[in-house]
Amino acid sequence: MFRLPIDAESFPLGKGPMVMLILFFISTLFIFGRSEEQGEDLEFWIFANTHYEEYQARVPIFEAQNPGVNVQLINFGGTMHDKLLAAMLSNFGAPDLVEVEITSIGRFLKGAIDEVGFVDLRPRLESEGWMDRLVVSRFTPWSYRGRIFGIPHDLHPVVLLYRDDLFKAAGVEMTEIETWDDFIAAGKKATRDLDGDGKVDQYAIVLDRRTESDYFSLLLQQGGGFFDADGNVIIDSELAIETLEFFTALFNEHKIATSVYGTWHGDPSNFAAMQDGKILSILAPDWYVGILKSQVPQMSGKWKAVGMPAWHPGGRRTTTRGGTMVGITKQCENPDRAWELLKFTYFDRPGLVNRYETTRIIPPLKAAWDAPIFKEPDVYLGGQPLGELFIQLAPDLPPRYQNPYWSEGADLLNDAIFAAVTEKQTPREALTDLAEKVRALMAKDRGRWGDM
Amino acid sequence: MKIPIHRNEPQGIIKNLFWNQQQKIAPYLFIAPFYLLFVVFMGYPLISSLVMSLYEMRGFQSRVFVGFGNFTDLFGDPIFWKSLRNTAYFAVGTLTLQLPIALLLAILLNSKFVKGKNLLRLAFFAPVLVAGVFVAIIFNLVYDQRAGLVNQEFLLFGKEIGWLNEENYVMPAVILTGVWQWAGFNMIYFLAGLQGIRQELYEAAAVDGANWWQAFIHVTLPSLRPVIAFVFVVSMIGSLQLFDLPFILTNGGEPADAGSTIVMYLYKNGFQFMRLGYAATIGWVLFFIIAVISIVQLKLLGIFRDE
Repeated sequence: MFRLPIDAESFPLGKGPMVMLILFFISTLFIFGRSEEQGEDLEFWIFANTHYEEYQARVPIFEAQNPGVNVQLINFGGTMHDKLLAAMLSNFGAPDLVEVEITSIGRFLKGAIDEVGFVDLRPRLESEGWMDRLVVSRFTPWSYRGRIFGIPHDLHPVVLLYRDDLFKAAGVEMTEIETWDDFIAAGKKATRDLDGDGKVDQYAIVLDRRTESDYFSLLLQQGGGFFDADGNVIIDSELAIETLEFFTALFNEHKIATSVYGTWHGDPSNFAAMQDGKILSILAPDWYVGILKSQVPQMSGKWKAVGMPAWHPGGRRTTTRGGTMVGITKQCENPDRAWELLKFTYFDRPGLVNRYETTRIIPPLKAAWDAPIFKEPDVYLGGQPLGELFIQLAPDLPPRYQNPYWSEGADLLNDAIFAAVTEKQTPREALTDLAEKVRALMAKDRGRWGDM
Repeated sequence: MKIPIHRNEPQGIIKNLFWNQQQKIAPYLFIAPFYLLFVVFMGYPLISSLVMSLYEMRGFQSRVFVGFGNFTDLFGDPIFWKSLRNTAYFAVGTLTLQLPIALLLAILLNSKFVKGKNLLRLAFFAPVLVAGVFVAIIFNLVYDQRAGLVNQEFLLFGKEIGWLNEENYVMPAVILTGVWQWAGFNMIYFLAGLQGIRQELYEAAAVDGANWWQAFIHVTLPSLRPVIAFVFVVSMIGSLQLFDLPFILTNGGEPADAGSTIVMYLYKNGFQFMRLGYAATIGWVLFFIIAVISIVQLKLLGIFRDE
C-alpha cells in the first residue's frame, strides 16, 4: 500500500497545518493548471453597473463567435480609476480594455504623449472608416495632441426638462421658448410665491452652484471651454466670463434659479423638491432622465422636454455633460483581439439599441439612430418621443477638449463658481484668478520638464 | 530530545558551528518575520515616500528632482491651509464634544442606577461597526435639506439649513457625524478605565466628606489619566487623518473646499491630479504635525512623568 513519507502525527505542527499545506499545494496546482488550459484571456474593467450588466449579457455572444477567447469582465465600481492608475504606474496588472469616466481621463494623459498608457486608436478608426460613422465632436474628450485614446460610449446631449403643467399654470408655453432671454422672461412669471408668505414656492430652474456641472454645460453650449484644442487655458475668455455673469444673474439678479438641494442633482433632497413642485425645470442629459425614471417614478407624466434655450436665435439648442470611453491599454498583449471586442460592445447596432432600452443613453454610432425604438413615445414624458429629440440634437453636440490639467482646473472651477454666485468675487475676478492659477501650474511644470 | 553531534566528519564541523551558534541566531530568526514584514510594508514605503517628496512626477514614468520645492509650494498653497484649518476644526470639535460625551456615557453605564447596561453598551458601540462609507451615505440623508431628519424632524432652526450646501455648516455636520460614530467606541475605553478604579478610593473620599463632584474631580479623573491620554492621542490622530466621511458626505470637499481635509487633499493630489511628489510631501507634513501634537499632548497629560 502507498504510504506518505510523513504521517500526520510526526508532521511538525500536527494534523491541521498538514491538511492546510496539502490543500494549498493542490489548489495552487489547480489554479495554475487551469489557466494553462484556457485559451486567450481578455480582461475588461468597468466602473458602472449598468454597463457591466449590458456587457455581461452580450459577452457570451462574442465568445461564441471567437472560440478560445475568454472575456473577463470586472466591475470595480467607483474605485476602478484608482486601481487603473496604480496598474499603469507600476506598469503591471492593467486590463486589456478599460472604461474611463470623462472627469478622470485627464490624469491619465499627464506626462510625455508617448508615455500615455492607452493605445492610440486613430489609425484603426481611420483605416476602418469609423470616424465618419460616429459623431466626430465626441472624440474630443478622449483625444489629446492628435491621438485618440478612447472610443466614446455615449453622447450625452442635454435637454431642458420642464414641468409643463406648472409653467402653463403660470401662463408660459415652454415650446415657444427659443433663447435664454425668452427663458428669463418666462422664468420671472413662473417663479412665484404661491401662498403669500413672502417665500418663493417655485423656481423656474434648479442649478448646481457647488460644482462646474451646469455652468460648464452652458459654456460648452456657447462653444467655449476650459481649454482650447491646442491645450491653452481659455476659462478667462470674455465668453466664459459672460456665461458666468449670466449664470450668477439667474440666482442673484433675476432670482429665477434655486441652488440644487443636497449635494448634486441626483440627491434625494432634490427629488423631494421636484415632487413638491418647487423646481420647474432642469438641464438634463440623457442619463439623467434614466436616473429620474428609476428614482422618481411617481413623477411619470409630469415632465416634458425641449431643446435648451439658445444663446441667440437659431443657435445651438444642446450641450453635453458626462461621458465614458473605452480604451485599449498598452499592457494589452493582443490589441487586435481587444479591438474586436471593443467594436462588438461599442459599434454593434442591436447592442446599442438594447442600451437605449435599458439606460436611455443615445449611442454615438449614427447608423443606430434609425432604429424604431428611438421614435417610440416615452410614457415618463407623457408620450413625447424623447429619443427622437435627443437624436435631433445630437449632431450639434459641442466639442469638449480634453487636457491633463482638467482635474486640477475643475476643482478650482468649482470654487470659482461658488465664489461668484455667493458674490465673494465678481465672475471676472473669479475666472481671472482661476486661469492665472492653472497657467502658473502649467508654467511651473513646463519649467521642470519642458513642453511635453 | 537529543541533538546528534557529528564530530569527526567534514559536514559535521559545519553542523557543529551551526549548533554552537544557534543560541545566538535563534532569537534573530524568531523576530525576523516581523522585521521582514516591517521593512517591506513600512520601512521601504516610508523611505520611498520621503524620497518621492523631493521629486515631482509627471505622467507614469518621468520624474524630476525638486529638492524642497514641494514643501515651499505647499506652504504657499491656500487650499492646503484651508484643509489644515478644516482638519483642526474637526479635531478640536471631536476632542471638545466627542470625548466628554463618551466619558459621560461611560459614567452613566458604570453607575448602579442604569438598567439594561448590556443593551445600551451595544447600542452606543454599534455605530463603530458601520463602515465609514455607509455612515456618510446615511448622514447624507439625515442632513438632507428638505427631507432630512435634522431639518424635518427637529425643526430646531426654523429654516431649511443646507448642512452640506453652505460653507459654515459643512464642518459642524461632519463633526456631529463623527461624534455619532465614535463616541461609543471611546466610551468603551473610559468604561474599562472606570471599572479599573479601586472602590476603596471612593470610600476613602466619602469618609473625608467628598461629594460626588469632588470624588469625580479628585478620584475619577486622576485615575483615568492614562486612559484619557490614550483616547486623547488616538482621537487626535484619527481626526487628523479624517478622509472618507467628509469625502463622501461633501462630494469631495465642496462647496468651496469647506469640507476638504489634509488627507483628502493628499488623495486628490496623488490620485486625481497625479502629483505624487506633492502628495508625499503632504503626507510627511501631516506626519510631523501628528508627531508634534502627540508628544505635546502626552507631555501635558503627564504620561512621561516619573511616579
